[in-house]
Amino acid sequence: MTILLLTLIILLAVFALFSSDLLHGVVAMSAISLSCAILFYILEAPDVAITEAAVGAGVSTVIFVWALRHSQRKEDRHE
Amino acid sequence: MSMILLHTMQWFLLVSAGICVIRLLLGPTSADRLVALNILSGVTLAFLVVRGVWEKRVLYLDVALVYDIFGFLGFLAIARFLKDRMSDGEEQ
Repeated sequence: MTILLLTLIILLAVFALFSSDLLHGVVAMSAISLSCAILFYILEAPDVAITEAAVGAGVSTVIFVWALRHSQRKEDRHE
Repeated sequence: MSMILLHTMQWFLLVSAGICVIRLLLGPTSADRLVALNILSGVTLAFLVVRGVWEKRVLYLDVALVYDIFGFLGFLAIARFLKDRMSDGEEQ
């Protein structure tokens, strides 16, 4: 169960690194914190899982998207 | 018997989460990825509740409650950003 979750986290992290669109990276980061919350929960640390679920999945996603709204793309899409 | 069922259900939900992650990685558009993340959140919520019943501890259910409240804010932010970007015509 732990190994399956760690594999999912590694896959999502590699995708978040190499995705060209920033919003896809934000979605992957949200899924990473979701998987981390399950992992802490399985490893019998429910208070850490509460903090990870509140800060990681909720607030940090809102902050990332908020920063993404106020940025703009300067480069060409096709290169 | 119920312990066996709860344990089977945990594995079933984890495999479902893996399938949702595959869709999140492969989905061609941003809306596909948002829907995949939303389904992943639902599967995770079910997993947390099943695990909490399995462990027979009330504290474990609080994690599911807090995650469901705060995860909704994240999806709301992503969906609103996606709406603005689609109305700008940048999304194909």
